Amino acid sequence: MDLKELRRQRRSRFMGGLIPYVGYIIQSGIAMVFLLVLIIFSAWYTSLLRDVPEGIPIRWIMLVLLLPAAAHSSFRTYLQSPDTIFLLPQGHRMKEYFAPAWTAGNVWKILRLAFVLITLWPLYIRTDDSHQMLLATFAVLILVKILASFGLWRELAMLSRPASAGYSLLRWAVSGLMIAAWLWQPPFRALIFIVILAAAYVAALAVPARLSVPWERLIATERNQGARALMILGWFVDVPGREQRVYPRRYLSKWGAGIAWRRSTAYRFLLTKSFARGDIFGIVIRIAVLALLLVWWNRESYIGSGIYLFFVLIMGVQLSALRKLHSESFWLTVYPLPEGSKASSTIQFIFRAHLLLAVLTALPFLTGIAGRPLPVIGTFLAGALLAYLFKSRASRKSAQDDDDI
Amino acid sequence: MSTAPVLQITGLSGGYSLNKPVLHDIGLQVQPGEMVGLIGLNGAGKSTTMKHILGLMSPHKGEITVQGKTRSSDPEAYHGALSFVPESPLLYEEMTVREHVEFTARAYGVEQSDYESRSSRLAALFNMDDKMDTLSSHLSKGMKQKVMIMCAFVARPALYVIDEPFLGLDPLGIRSLLDFMLELKNTGASILLSSHILSTIENYCDRFIVLHRGKVIAQGTLAEMTAAAGLQGLNLEQLFYELVQGGK
Repeated sequence: MDLKELRRQRRSRFMGGLIPYVGYIIQSGIAMVFLLVLIIFSAWYTSLLRDVPEGIPIRWIMLVLLLPAAAHSSFRTYLQSPDTIFLLPQGHRMKEYFAPAWTAGNVWKILRLAFVLITLWPLYIRTDDSHQMLLATFAVLILVKILASFGLWRELAMLSRPASAGYSLLRWAVSGLMIAAWLWQPPFRALIFIVILAAAYVAALAVPARLSVPWERLIATERNQGARALMILGWFVDVPGREQRVYPRRYLSKWGAGIAWRRSTAYRFLLTKSFARGDIFGIVIRIAVLALLLVWWNRESYIGSGIYLFFVLIMGVQLSALRKLHSESFWLTVYPLPEGSKASSTIQFIFRAHLLLAVLTALPFLTGIAGRPLPVIGTFLAGALLAYLFKSRASRKSAQDDDDI
Repeated sequence: MSTAPVLQITGLSGGYSLNKPVLHDIGLQVQPGEMVGLIGLNGAGKSTTMKHILGLMSPHKGEITVQGKTRSSDPEAYHGALSFVPESPLLYEEMTVREHVEFTARAYGVEQSDYESRSSRLAALFNMDDKMDTLSSHLSKGMKQKVMIMCAFVARPALYVIDEPFLGLDPLGIRSLLDFMLELKNTGASILLSSHILSTIENYCDRFIVLHRGKVIAQGTLAEMTAAAGLQGLNLEQLFYELVQGGK
């Protein structure tokens, strides 16, 4: 069996499934909005570079933006559940299958890292008097990236889930320390620290017991990766329903218990649970926290309002993905849910969540309401209007599709 | 007790393709308080028949009524009158056992107090008390099947459509299920049950419908079917073997 060829075929099949949507992505309004945002960002960044503010914490900015790009790793294995039966006898040869996944995963992530670094570099060299060399910095980041990828691969193979979770934290901590050492310390001293830390990390990774091929973990991870790719596609076009990654989030287990006990709200109950334990919740919360920080930082300028509206837009796009949840659910066909209750519950749920997030992320503006009441009230209203526009669009789409979403 | 059938299928032909129907002129009914066994070889059309009853497939010909309603005339009443236990558990990974049962109760419009009492009883009956707050993705296959059964039984509709319910269940679970089905039957509920474990259902079902290559080749009580086939004294397994071998 040619395992490399098998993976190549699976990859081609997956990519082939995405190609029909490319045209729609180009045509979609969201793609145009992203393009517009990119142009606005470029213009803003260029003006920032021309007139860099004093005392900007550039090393922290570099660390915050480079760390996720360096420490976050992933691999597309395209493994499927039946592989635990049919590929099991090939277990000793699976390195052949995984090698392209490892290479492709790293190449794309290194390109992403290079993009972030090159974008930040002009700001860095203008603001940091004792900045490092570009190529040396890139080489260090590649080292961190490869080490993080190796760490993730080992984490996936670990027998103990708690150990795997612990090592995931360690991967981020080690990556952060290495990048910080490079940014804050002289090159030679930083390199010594990085080499010692890398050696200690590699030694630590050898300790936990692990499987030679963690089939079930890799299959679950692959399912999540595929779902995430479809979710991103779902920002632009309607794609078939997808499975989402589930997190227990016990602290949210009571959410939904207070929903009125009526058949018409049964779907809202399901959607609340799906949202509370799904990945969309985590994503919008992260976006909201980032929005709060940036809005707080720019709360007394029109740039802050622009940033705020951009984030309200992004949160709306993310929340819209909830429309695709359970679109192919068996039980929603079989259970006697009132006609139209799925569509109306979804639209209402998304609108309420969007509006709540829009209000929460606008709160930093309130500190300046006495000095500039009109811009602050206008920003609040614009955020609410944006949430309402998302709702109107969803209602229109739902009516056009003439189905229960 | 009303004599109008809870489930009535008349002249049903259907399948995945118009040119190649899987079911041919199926006619059957299930009366109130009756447990009917739907039996047949793999591919005989049992699951396809059930999919038509559930409204997942549209008949090419014929009509299906549940409590006198067709799916097109009153979909809410139609679906509200039946619940289904699939052969393979279909669960939402993001919900716990309790939440699945609650979602089903809400969807069927079960009163909250009824839901609470039924849910506690079902959890105890199927030894799921300590799993009620576990996410479905963390359950074994047998436990997932128990969740499906609990969901179907919390709704208390007029008709239960149950496809191969014993797969993956432990012996205690099978016993609890059979006993509970008998209890429901005695309260007037109707059950259409598909299973390959003929020796088990022989003692529990009132009547049987034998499907073979998409056609009903026999139906009635065991005594009626053996008499019609001139094979008196055979048990269900022996009769089934004779019927399908004869139809080869």
